[in-house]
Amino acid sequence: MTEGPHEIDCREALDRLYEYLDAELTPELAQEVADHLAKCAPCLAVSKFETAYLRFLEARTRAQGAPDDLKKRILERLLFDKDAPGGS
Amino acid sequence: MIPTGTRRLRFEDEALPHVDFLYSFALRLTAEPAFAEDLVQETMLKAYRAWHQFRPGSNVKAWLATILRNTFINERRKQWRHDDHLNVDAAEGYSVLSDAQEVDPEGQFFDQMVGEEVVRAIHKLPEEYREALVLSDMQGLPYAVIARETGTPLGTVKSRIFRARQALQRELSGYAAALGYEKARQLASAAA
Repeated sequence: MTEGPHEIDCREALDRLYEYLDAELTPELAQEVADHLAKCAPCLAVSKFETAYLRFLEARTRAQGAPDDLKKRILERLLFDKDAPGGS
Repeated sequence: MIPTGTRRLRFEDEALPHVDFLYSFALRLTAEPAFAEDLVQETMLKAYRAWHQFRPGSNVKAWLATILRNTFINERRKQWRHDDHLNVDAAEGYSVLSDAQEVDPEGQFFDQMVGEEVVRAIHKLPEEYREALVLSDMQGLPYAVIARETGTPLGTVKSRIFRARQALQRELSGYAAALGYEKARQLASAAA
């Protein structure tokens, strides 16, 4: 077996791409992917595209806390609710 | 009988602080902010009407969550009966929008897609895939946390997130063709 850094092929790099972009890989595995992307133009193109896609997904779907006026609207509905038992 | 005012104040004190939790739970089920808001409002109204059935000292949050989940299931039965689900099993590699990728390597057409189209596409994912995607891409949670929260093995969580993203890309490719892809192609041919 050869020592030194393990070189991965396109298939391995792409298999790990989402985990790489999600920062879910160990530093060693992340480095292997980064090394491959640095010298493989087609994989780098895929990576750039997927990065744009994930950024887009995040921007379009980013969860917020409940909207500010939601509690207010709920309170208003409760205040005027006629069906509550024990009501006047 | 407890006066209405007192009753409402007690409900406000005990149930209202859970609105943020309910909203994020609703978002996770529906992946649609407007629907999530409706669900939370409906849940709170039902809870208020049934407040006399709630046993003081038991878990308000769990009680509210149960009402929300049941409301969601009923609503979905009404609304989504005819919805076709996205196919998450189609075996494809990355960048199923490869045509778009060729003319638009930076994926700029994504900028032109509006949230509603994306939400509609997310909606069509099977529930367990939608949940994984929402927790990962909407709430930004690490895989391990999603696995713990949903009681799902880590490998399953990963595969659901990946497949959901791919299925969504396929679904969005229609919009891509109508928007940036066409535009990028026109730009490319104009430049040539």
